[in-house]
Amino acid sequence: MVSKTEETQLNRLENQVDNGGGGAWDYLCLVRKLKVRRSEKVFKYGLSILNDPKKRSALGPEEWTLYEQVAIAAMDCQCLDVTKDCIKVLQKKFPESKRVGRLNGMLLEAKGSWAEAEKAYSSLLEDNSLDQVIHKRRVAMAKAQGNISKAIELLNKYLEIFMADHDAWRELADIYVSLQMYKQAAFCYEELILSQPTVPLYHLAYADVLYTLGGLENLQTAKKYYASTIDLTGGKNTRALFGICLCTSAIAQVSKGRNKEDKESPELQSLAATALEKDYKQRAADKLGLLTSALRSLKI
Amino acid sequence: MGLGFIFGVFGVLFLFHAAYSTIQYRGLLKIMEEEFSGPPMNVVLELLLGFVFCVSAALTVPGNFLSIHPDSEENRIVSLPANLDFMIFNHRAKALPLEIDMKLKH
Repeated sequence: MVSKTEETQLNRLENQVDNGGGGAWDYLCLVRKLKVRRSEKVFKYGLSILNDPKKRSALGPEEWTLYEQVAIAAMDCQCLDVTKDCIKVLQKKFPESKRVGRLNGMLLEAKGSWAEAEKAYSSLLEDNSLDQVIHKRRVAMAKAQGNISKAIELLNKYLEIFMADHDAWRELADIYVSLQMYKQAAFCYEELILSQPTVPLYHLAYADVLYTLGGLENLQTAKKYYASTIDLTGGKNTRALFGICLCTSAIAQVSKGRNKEDKESPELQSLAATALEKDYKQRAADKLGLLTSALRSLKI
Repeated sequence: MGLGFIFGVFGVLFLFHAAYSTIQYRGLLKIMEEEFSGPPMNVVLELLLGFVFCVSAALTVPGNFLSIHPDSEENRIVSLPANLDFMIFNHRAKALPLEIDMKLKH
């Protein structure tokens, strides 16, 4: 979970390193800790550290983690020669390592030789059939080959064993949303919210899926989850504010023909609209006109 | 930081002095064979003063307190970590070559 302070720190370090101000090792450590995907920069600055023997020896035992990080970044940037060299160095140092074997499998994946990568992963799984990362790599491979149904099947089997893996649930929800299977995606998001109730982004995604499903009950639940997102982010999440406005107007539209129970107080929508206008005035004053006209059309 | 530290040092000195005074007072009472009900008023005052100094030093010397609210400006979650375990490599960036052509020098 990347918090606001960590994000500002990351951006500051990134600017500093980009403008030649040093601090590349701190930047790489922060990227590794926050698990963000900045492959080009990691590749560029990591390789410059590794190519400089003085800086390399100053790292000590962290050098090998840097090799692994640069190898993965190089695969993402399609510089497979660098990847091969890094893996060779790691293999010389750690000959019988499963981690290096996994990197080899990922290299085969990046090259596009799916069958060989599958063979490599199955041989690694024979030694240890409960290796979480290898299972996940197989799912990723199925996804990369375009075989989404196989990816879903593998991921479901994985989740039967490792039910507490949030990343896997998140991935499954993403796949279901991409296939427009919203009910199943809602189930995955419910699992995520149950296990980590304080992460507002899960509430937001769940509310989005419910709003997409439509129907009066789903819209009311979606409105509640948008409200909880606003609560957990201190009102700074623009998407949730918009969600409240849209949900209220959608509920009003759906229940127009029915007898008005009128539990819905219009306060929430007007509060959200006010908060949005304040935010826009502060950050994008030239788009304020668009916002007010959009909100006005929603209230009808 | 300097002022807080001085406060802390003074607070500890006051506490030690109060303890020493109480021990002396008890010795005196033993000589005069009277009951020891409690330390005299000024020692209690000194004790309280030392306590206040120590607590204020403890609060100011370590620095700023960190926020604990999950929805505060610093702590709110802005983005989720990219799912690196499920990262795939045949994305569109394959068609965009990297400008810098670096190699591992060994």
